[in-house]
Amino acid sequence: MAEILFSSWGGEVVDNRGKEPQDFETVGKVSLPEYFQQDEEIKALIGWYGIVLRSAEVNVVDLCRTYMEEVQQQSCGKCFLCRIGTRVIADTLGRLCRGQGRPADLELIAGLAESISESSKCNIGQSGPLPLLHALEHFADDFAAAAGGAAVPAGKYRSRLTAPCMDACPIHLDIPTYVECIKEGKFQESLEVIRERLPLPGVVGRVCVRPCEEHCRRANLDEAISIKFLKRFVADYELDHGREPEYQVVPSAKTGKVAIVGAGPAGVTCAYHLARKGHQVTIYERLGEPGGMSAVGIPDYRLPRQILRHEVEMIQKLGVTIHYNTEVGKDVKLSQLEADFDAVFVAIGAHLSSSMRVEGEDAGYQGFIPGVKYLLDINSGIDPYPEGKKVVVVGGGNVAIDCVRCSFRIGKEDVNLVYRRTEKEMPADDVEIHDAKEEKVNFHFLTQPIKVLAENGKVVGLECIKMQLGEPDESGRRRPEPVEGSEFVIDCDIVVPAIGQTIDLSLLEGVDNVKTTRWHTIVVNEDTKQTENPKIFSAGDCETGPGALITACAGGRKAAFNIDKFINDEPLVATENDYFDKFFSQVKVYDPQEEIGFIGGRPRYQLKMLPPDTRKYTFDEVEQGFSPQEAMAEADRCLRCYRVATIAVG
Amino acid sequence: MVKLTIDGKEVKVPAGTTILAAAKSAGISIPTLCFHGRLDPIGSCRMCVVEIEGCAHPMAACTTPVVEGISVTTNSERLQRIRKDSLKLILVNHPLDCPICDKGGECLLQDLVYEFGIDRVEYQTPKPERSSQYATPLIRYWPDRCIMCLRCVTACREIKGIGAIDIKGAGYGSQVVVIDEDKCQSCGECLQVCPTGALTENLSRYKGRPWLVKRVPTTCTYCGCGCQLELNVEQNRVMAVTTKEGKGVNRGSLCVKGRFGYEFINSEERLTKPLIKKDGEFREASWDDALSLVAEKFKSIKEESGPDAIAGLSSARCTNEENYLFQKFMRAVIGTNNVDHCARL
Repeated sequence: MAEILFSSWGGEVVDNRGKEPQDFETVGKVSLPEYFQQDEEIKALIGWYGIVLRSAEVNVVDLCRTYMEEVQQQSCGKCFLCRIGTRVIADTLGRLCRGQGRPADLELIAGLAESISESSKCNIGQSGPLPLLHALEHFADDFAAAAGGAAVPAGKYRSRLTAPCMDACPIHLDIPTYVECIKEGKFQESLEVIRERLPLPGVVGRVCVRPCEEHCRRANLDEAISIKFLKRFVADYELDHGREPEYQVVPSAKTGKVAIVGAGPAGVTCAYHLARKGHQVTIYERLGEPGGMSAVGIPDYRLPRQILRHEVEMIQKLGVTIHYNTEVGKDVKLSQLEADFDAVFVAIGAHLSSSMRVEGEDAGYQGFIPGVKYLLDINSGIDPYPEGKKVVVVGGGNVAIDCVRCSFRIGKEDVNLVYRRTEKEMPADDVEIHDAKEEKVNFHFLTQPIKVLAENGKVVGLECIKMQLGEPDESGRRRPEPVEGSEFVIDCDIVVPAIGQTIDLSLLEGVDNVKTTRWHTIVVNEDTKQTENPKIFSAGDCETGPGALITACAGGRKAAFNIDKFINDEPLVATENDYFDKFFSQVKVYDPQEEIGFIGGRPRYQLKMLPPDTRKYTFDEVEQGFSPQEAMAEADRCLRCYRVATIAVG
Repeated sequence: MVKLTIDGKEVKVPAGTTILAAAKSAGISIPTLCFHGRLDPIGSCRMCVVEIEGCAHPMAACTTPVVEGISVTTNSERLQRIRKDSLKLILVNHPLDCPICDKGGECLLQDLVYEFGIDRVEYQTPKPERSSQYATPLIRYWPDRCIMCLRCVTACREIKGIGAIDIKGAGYGSQVVVIDEDKCQSCGECLQVCPTGALTENLSRYKGRPWLVKRVPTTCTYCGCGCQLELNVEQNRVMAVTTKEGKGVNRGSLCVKGRFGYEFINSEERLTKPLIKKDGEFREASWDDALSLVAEKFKSIKEESGPDAIAGLSSARCTNEENYLFQKFMRAVIGTNNVDHCARL
């Protein structure tokens, strides 16, 4: 990798200018990608955290001018210093670059930059002028030369606005804006911002794994903003007030017919975006209702079914047709869809339970019920095995937690969860684990099942062995190892394996050029979601493996944009946004170590919850939602961490 | 209660109090421009920035709630620089048309520029283009004078719950615009809270300087709410209606009638003396003559056709006391229950 000449990123100043390459110090605070896209080198970065210079060809004065112009364009105009001050700075830098500057200008913009960054209302103004101050300090000669009339060569730049939460969100929702709308009581506008990308705010506002909140800068002060519940709030507010969304349809030059396999989050999101571009969309769904894994896998106490149905119904108003109880591969062949439609989007999810590889699991014992089937039955209103009263669920993910919590709700008396690592390593949501504990699930950590015990073809127990944590494995988690001679038996009549899901790829038979991986996922181009068969696109769990709902939605959206391009005979290539997403994921927009420099002391508003003793026997929604006042007060905690990055390329 | 120190002075305030309010309770004044007592803190002007020990960044006192044990400084060289920069940036393109500005003399920006002794502005940038034509027949918007403090936008949304105006656009080009013309009721809440002369009323333009008018507190006569207002009187003419922040049941708000419907007071067409029709023409008469005539006629009607031939119609614009007397008069003197008033129509 080409060496860095100078970096002031994140407060770490590394200055290698004038040094021999062997004496170069390394930069620890930032990893600057070498290329933005193929054949386009990144020569410098200027952004919220400083300046990183790789090539001496870059003129820092022009770099600063371009960057400050972008900062000004992104200023919201809601505080004086940023709105007018960044304009003054950008203008002054423009004069410097045109050779019309004066030496006094340098002091003037330095003073102004300091005032703006010290006192602006949000992070655009706070972080915006910061790298200019670094530049004025470390590249004083370049600025003095420009002020003296030296020519300033113009470079080629690319700029982008981001925010830690926006960057972390797989579908890149404009979180600061929709939170700000809530703060100002503009709930409908807030929803419009969300629906620009995501058609399922009520669903995602309930069950999202919320990577945004993990990247919330407010957490550096006190606690992250309750982004997920704010999203839920605006969706509920609309529903409670009997309003319906007004979607804008802007037909593409050429519109076509698209078949979508699966009405899960990926399929529905894809359908929504295609329909908004005027395409005719037909969804084929194996089950009798929409939602895919989010309908059958997420119990009603977390995601009431009518919320999901309502949001999908709203999308049907755009002209999307859904054929329920129609399994592609059986009722209709994928090859037929390929022939009948202009493009096909495959989003079938991951509905098969993974095998535990323990003795007895394939013996067909009564009481041995795979996790997905267990939840599907319960969500359809059926007790999968009424005879059984003592349940052991195996696994540490959200499906496992859903299985245990549902068990109480269908009247099971003794509910156990077996997980081979410790609570710390559980992939399930911390909140879910906490709630399950409150409902008195017996957790058996560091425990691995080894044999399903049965009598007369019915489960009577699960033989387990105690584990201890050894060295870290490739996932970074410490590998559990069995403790010799620690075998024991948990008496039970139901065993529910919920250690993961795999994908049923049988529908691909008879279709050419759709490749799959050894993990049974479908291979696509990550930028376009297109398979090697140009007419077939895929995203969601069947492409990524079991993952987050919001990731599936993001995949569906990306696929929709590329299917639209495909129908319009446009080249399917990554966009500048895609490249910036990759760029930001390497540069890292959120720094958990950052010292914000403010006082905090305003913890997040907590949702009201049904008490554990009541909720554990009912499928009523546990979390009660914000009131408008609570939502507005919670939204007021947002620091609005927008920040701008400009890169010099060539 | 939360304990903190402001400028070395120990202050105890309830949790949730802002630093600005805490300072005020201790008699410490922090300059503000966008802050308005009836609105949630806006935080657009950054004049109220204060330093908090241990925090790298100054913070706006109006939006920051107190935290136990913090030590706040409300004045320092750094804070003065920021406050002055904020004002200077406003002045970059704020017209200095104070001599013909209706707000001249009671303009918060004028006061602050004076207080901070800003005699020159070294920054420059071309004027922003503001195409906004936010105006009603009663309210005039002067885009050049607008400092975009957002008081008007916030008041329209928070106090009136209307949200007819908002800020649109980005950066320097952002401006206050009407987002829904039909929503605006010309209530004038926006101009009541405007700290500068960016919003003025079309009726009273150039009619009198604020420091020359006498402000007469009174009660609005348009309906029974009893809103408190002040008639701005000069040479026995009403020039404008203003209110005092937080005063009366209306706490400073008025409706379109209360704020702008005052021209009748000095209207030349207004009757100030009773008229009696003689030979098909109205002629001025004395009150004694007029009242005697009315009494005579009532008497004769009552004698000829009975008291129920007479009905009385009163006005919602009268006070309760006047309406009480009116029905008493109808019942006890005329002898009829035929009494009603316009609010039922």
